[in-house]
Amino acid sequence: MPSKYAIHTLAVPHRFKSVSRSGIIAWEEGCLKCAVCVKKRCVYGVYDNRDLDPMQMIDSIDNQCMNCLRCIQGCPKELIHKSLNPEYKALGDSYWAPDIIAKLWYQAETGKIPVSGAGYPGPFSGPGFDSMWTDMSEIVRPTRDGIHGREYISTAIDLGRTTRHISFDEEKGLESGSARILDIPLPIILRTPTFGAISKDTINGWTRAAKGLGTLMALPQKMISSTPEGSAPWVIPMISPEESGAPAITEETRVAEVPWNEEVSGLVGEMEDRYPSLLMSVRLPMDHRAEERALVLAEDGVSIIHMEAAWNGVSMGGDGGFLKDGIRSVHLRLVEAGIRDEITLLSSGGIAMAEHVPKAIICGADGVFVDFPILIALECRMCRRCTKGLSCPVEIQGASPSWVASRVRNLVGAWHNQLLEVMGAMGIRDARRLRGEVGRAIFFEELDRATFGSMGQVEEGCELE
Amino acid sequence: MYREQQITLGLFYCQNVPESREENRQALEEEFGKSLRLFPIPCSGRLEPVHLLKALERFADAAFIITCPVGACRYFEGNHRAKKRVERTRKILSDIGMEPERVGIAIGSKEAPKTLAQQAREIFREISLLGPSPVFGQE
Ligand code: SF4
Repeated sequence: MPSKYAIHTLAVPHRFKSVSRSGIIAWEEGCLKCAVCVKKRCVYGVYDNRDLDPMQMIDSIDNQCMNCLRCIQGCPKELIHKSLNPEYKALGDSYWAPDIIAKLWYQAETGKIPVSGAGYPGPFSGPGFDSMWTDMSEIVRPTRDGIHGREYISTAIDLGRTTRHISFDEEKGLESGSARILDIPLPIILRTPTFGAISKDTINGWTRAAKGLGTLMALPQKMISSTPEGSAPWVIPMISPEESGAPAITEETRVAEVPWNEEVSGLVGEMEDRYPSLLMSVRLPMDHRAEERALVLAEDGVSIIHMEAAWNGVSMGGDGGFLKDGIRSVHLRLVEAGIRDEITLLSSGGIAMAEHVPKAIICGADGVFVDFPILIALECRMCRRCTKGLSCPVEIQGASPSWVASRVRNLVGAWHNQLLEVMGAMGIRDARRLRGEVGRAIFFEELDRATFGSMGQVEEGCELE
Repeated sequence: MYREQQITLGLFYCQNVPESREENRQALEEEFGKSLRLFPIPCSGRLEPVHLLKALERFADAAFIITCPVGACRYFEGNHRAKKRVERTRKILSDIGMEPERVGIAIGSKEAPKTLAQQAREIFREISLLGPSPVFGQE
């Protein structure tokens, strides 16, 4: 058995003060000047070394406060209040919600799994991935001595295509060339987000992180010149037909990507013939034609299909479908046609939390691309100011490559641990076996239909009293 | 400290000011560029003289606060207190020989509510007479 894959993380502080969820409002007026003020009794000492960041006007008490609310309850004149911070509420959008962003910041800073404390105050179901519940029934067994314990839980996946059967040549030797496989130690591939105040240093840092993690980084052709030397095996050039200039593929490139078009299979075949160890991936927009197109690609012998949903995980076709359903339908179509095992299915768009990785795999993907989280790991607030030519509030473009690489490493490390936890709790010890395992999840829509589907319908001609 | 702009305004505003959402804020920043720095705060009562003074010390020629109308504060007395704090800051400024008009307060009106953008423009008009702050002038 190979040595265990582990991601070693180390806390990497923010460069800017982060936007805190709530802020303290303390009145001075009416203060009784008690001999020992509640502020002095703060167990975390947040009032003692108070400091104001003048450029962002962020008060250190808000970042250090642990929300124990002792001061608020203790002040005899009730002069201390706590309120939600309007800047926090304004973070991101409806999909990249403030709580998701704050948790990603935490993971990139500490490399640790975020723990929200006792009790869960949120809703039990919601749109998108939130309507899937994973099975945790085996939580007691494989994790007996921790996720890094004796039992080996493998998160590795294979990229590429396999053959339906083995064939031999005239000399009774194995016919070569039919199977082309690359294995990566975790089902997560990095990819540049569609916006962001990024610079050469950012791209350099991301590529370093991908190399360090043993995974890949997908980059548009024009960004490849910013990658550090010797990183070609870890880069997936996203080739665009319109773009001219130096070809992005070298002898060392292991995976490259082209966008879907009617004649793409021919191009893919040509490239794979020219480079004997290259795997080609076809980026297919997720919409109502994806099933058909994926089937054709699989039959044409394409190695990897990358199903791309929009930034918030919804269909590119404007029909409102969500990534999880898109993956499921393509996966099932390939299963029905009996060729699912011959092809790799990757997906992207809206992967925002660690749990989305196993959920996408359960729906039928082999692995996922992660895009915006690697930007949010660099403190991005998803304010989209960069798309309007305004300055980035956290000056991402100025971050050093090593800082970028360590932040992303921490984030992926935390996600990897959560993947191990989830797989352990499901009693699954190989990420390859998790693919399409819908028996390990409950889909809210299905449960809802089965339980309440027949209720509440008024038959024609019937009067309700 | 070298700065390109003529006048920079540090503008704090309470979250109850009409049209003060993130999109409005970004539109304003696009319009004014670097001469406007906006700071939303949960309640104007959160403002302390140190906020205004720090802004004047670091980047602003003027620092203002926009509050919700009297009687509309979620925390009952926030805007009332903000007013007192602005007065206190003005006193400090005149004590050290700076124009007290460099800090100010705009209290919203219930009858004729004004949006963040309208108020920001009015404040800009008001401070344009002051000229650059002496804090940054010596270089
Ligand atoms: S913080 Fe805002 S400006 Fe900076 S990269 Fe993120 S979205 Fe763009």
